Amino acid sequence: MKCPICGKPAAPGHKPFCSKRCADIDLGRWLTDSYKIPQQVDEDDEEERAPEPPPR
Amino acid sequence: MSDVTPPTPHDDAYDAASISVLRGLDAVRKRPGMYIGDTDDGSGLHHMGFEIIDNAVDEAQAGFADRVEAVLNGDGSMTIRDNGRGIPTDIHPEEGISAAEVVLTKLHAGGKFNQNSYKVSGGLHGVGAAVVNALSEWMEVRIWRNGQEHFIRFEHGDTVQPLMVVGASDRPTGTEVTFKPSAATFTHTEFDYAVFERRLRELAFLNSGLAIQLSDERHEPAQRAEFHYDGGIAEFCKWLDRAKTSLIPVPITAASEVKESGIKVEFACSWNDSYHETMLCFTNNIPQRDGGTHLAGFRGALTRVLGNYAKSMGKKDGTEISGEDMREGLTAVLSVKVPDPKFSSQTKDKLISSEVQPVVQAAVADALGHWFETHPKEAKLIVQKVIDAAAAREAARKARELTRRKGVLDISSLPGKLADCQERDPAKSELFLVEGDSAGGSAKQGRDRKFQAILPLKGKILNVERARFDKMLASAEIGTLITALGAGIGRAEPEQGGFDEGKLRYHRIVIMTDADVDGSHIRTLLLTFFYRQMPALIEKGYLYIAQPPLYRAKRGNDQRYLKDDDALEAFLLERAMGEAALVSGALTLAGDELRAETGWIGQVVHRLKALSSLLPLNYLEQIAIAGLFAPAALGDASKDAALVARLNALSHPTERGWVVTSDATGVTLGRTVRGVAERYHLDAAALRTAEARYLAERAPRLAELFGGGATLAIDGPAKPVHGPAAMWEALLAYGRKGLTISRFKGLGEMNPEELWATTLDPSARRLLQVKISDAEDTDQIFATLMGDIVEPRREFIVSNALKVANLDA
Repeated sequence: MKCPICGKPAAPGHKPFCSKRCADIDLGRWLTDSYKIPQQVDEDDEEERAPEPPPR
Repeated sequence: MSDVTPPTPHDDAYDAASISVLRGLDAVRKRPGMYIGDTDDGSGLHHMGFEIIDNAVDEAQAGFADRVEAVLNGDGSMTIRDNGRGIPTDIHPEEGISAAEVVLTKLHAGGKFNQNSYKVSGGLHGVGAAVVNALSEWMEVRIWRNGQEHFIRFEHGDTVQPLMVVGASDRPTGTEVTFKPSAATFTHTEFDYAVFERRLRELAFLNSGLAIQLSDERHEPAQRAEFHYDGGIAEFCKWLDRAKTSLIPVPITAASEVKESGIKVEFACSWNDSYHETMLCFTNNIPQRDGGTHLAGFRGALTRVLGNYAKSMGKKDGTEISGEDMREGLTAVLSVKVPDPKFSSQTKDKLISSEVQPVVQAAVADALGHWFETHPKEAKLIVQKVIDAAAAREAARKARELTRRKGVLDISSLPGKLADCQERDPAKSELFLVEGDSAGGSAKQGRDRKFQAILPLKGKILNVERARFDKMLASAEIGTLITALGAGIGRAEPEQGGFDEGKLRYHRIVIMTDADVDGSHIRTLLLTFFYRQMPALIEKGYLYIAQPPLYRAKRGNDQRYLKDDDALEAFLLERAMGEAALVSGALTLAGDELRAETGWIGQVVHRLKALSSLLPLNYLEQIAIAGLFAPAALGDASKDAALVARLNALSHPTERGWVVTSDATGVTLGRTVRGVAERYHLDAAALRTAEARYLAERAPRLAELFGGGATLAIDGPAKPVHGPAAMWEALLAYGRKGLTISRFKGLGEMNPEELWATTLDPSARRLLQVKISDAEDTDQIFATLMGDIVEPRREFIVSNALKVANLDA
């Protein structure tokens, strides 16, 4: 299990993080609207919001 | 960045005339703590050694000695030897006794008031040697000076053998002090080797080039260590970080000197990947545990330079960066040399000379500013760490705030959006996290309020660019969720508001989202949040995913809810199966026999459909029946001919004339209808797919069932079926007869009764329990989806956006 913030191995007391510090950083992001999932939208079909093929 | 210029020996005479007398020694014996520190906990005892060592190091600092030896003797005494000039031995003009005796018996006597003898010194004001003498059972001092060896002995500070010349000596000059701490003063009189080891190493770092030897003769064999560093405090800094990973390869160092005040500043600092600050401050080689004006100057400079740099990098996410954030993972050594330093106490734990602060601040700001400008890459790393530290601190604060607002267990503080249940026993209570307000409304009406609570959650959609929307769970939603669960948040202690699984108000927490992309994103966000911030809840098996149906099949008053496409297909097939019979030559399949075949036929159909972007389905199935999906069959003229016959058979008489060729490039079908050429090609790459392999395997059975002109009868006359896909379609079409099938676009389309009957009712619903491994997978997906952490991998987003659906499998 790798720490989602810094990639170091998770510490037993702070799973899945490596430390309280990284757990705090993560919590901070949840509490400050920092986690967003970007999504492409097909402009012709906005209602469906279907993902469109990636731009190459 | 210049190095400190090494001290040069100066010519000013160091003799009896440079020793001044201030006061007597009696007070020391009466109140030793005031002079030497705590006499019970060992700190005072070791301070005895430090004082004498510091005097020896002062000689080195002044440029007269380059070697100091400290020996812990077997009889409990300690010897400190240096190769300096030797304490003056001539008669002091005012006191009428030898200068050495004055230095060792008179408080506030010494060469250090006269700044000509020592510009800076650690063993301050001469208090050291006299205090040590006063608190020693005995002390013996040997001095080599002017070609002679001198000797003097004291007991409890009283001279029992005035300074005498032992004889001529050709040894180099130097001083050797041996003392045995008085058991009358100190509770414990046993020296601790490790304490001296630490201090002597420190001194060796602080006095580049000076060799210090420590030996412990109390044991056999003697323990010895030699400290000698040429790298100065930069090397000290590296040594402190030896077990950590440094963010920068070489510590930032600088040294400067202000001529007028004689203040010298030297520092080295670095950042490592830990979260602890290691800050050592020294004034004239003496450590200040409590910092003081030099530390204040250093911190002021650090805050200013780093703050400006962070600002110039355009970091303005609102989080105020504090000095504390900048010092996270900082390792620094700050050493100042001040001619006449003032401390808050005799133990010198805090420097209070106010003139030091601006000097240090200017020197450090100058050096740091220059370094940040010339090391942009490393500077960015450091600033990023600082920003992370600020974010972490801010998060911890927010979490505290969130949970401190009234008691989170206080029912009156529950969020207004929550429709709570009547049950108070968490083991019997369920909380549904429902996507969207409208579905939330239905769920509130449809639930059993005795034990089911509903919390509607909305994903927030941000229109970032014209064709891009970002999905997120707003912090307010997260806050509501945390409050509703009632178990706090964060890694702090539960008393501080940290997450405590024991306080959870529900032991069943059910995520209920729509079966579309939005729903899957909200579910991904929620699962990731729980996995990261409340993993105990998953470990305990408290987290579930609801399985609302995707379809409703209605016939009159009868209705069936079907979870997904597979469930719908299975339902429709089952309806047809009872009435259907497949006849192929002598073979007739009906009832259970037919049912037994539908499993693999379904697999065949799904694989054919997977390839249908390459070729029309009805041709694909003929290729499959002919066995031409097997690469080994390519070029087999009899198989090509069989395919021609089958294609012709299912074409209108005027549209026949098919030509088939198969070779290493694949399979090509063609015909000409009314002058228009038609041509299809299945290339070799398509034949290497897993689908093709499966179809090749099933070819013999397909040929058996469909190769000879099969017919299918479903509750009526038999009709020809040309292949598995055609048969499948016929079965499904029959299954659909008389049914009204509707697809729920979202949970909101279900009325409260439907929601209860399908998803909420414990006797009818299906819940998927989330396992840590599921959550781990989700976290991976989430990490990849996160556009702002890693450069967005859009390809992944498109292909995996719905992969969370695997959780349902």
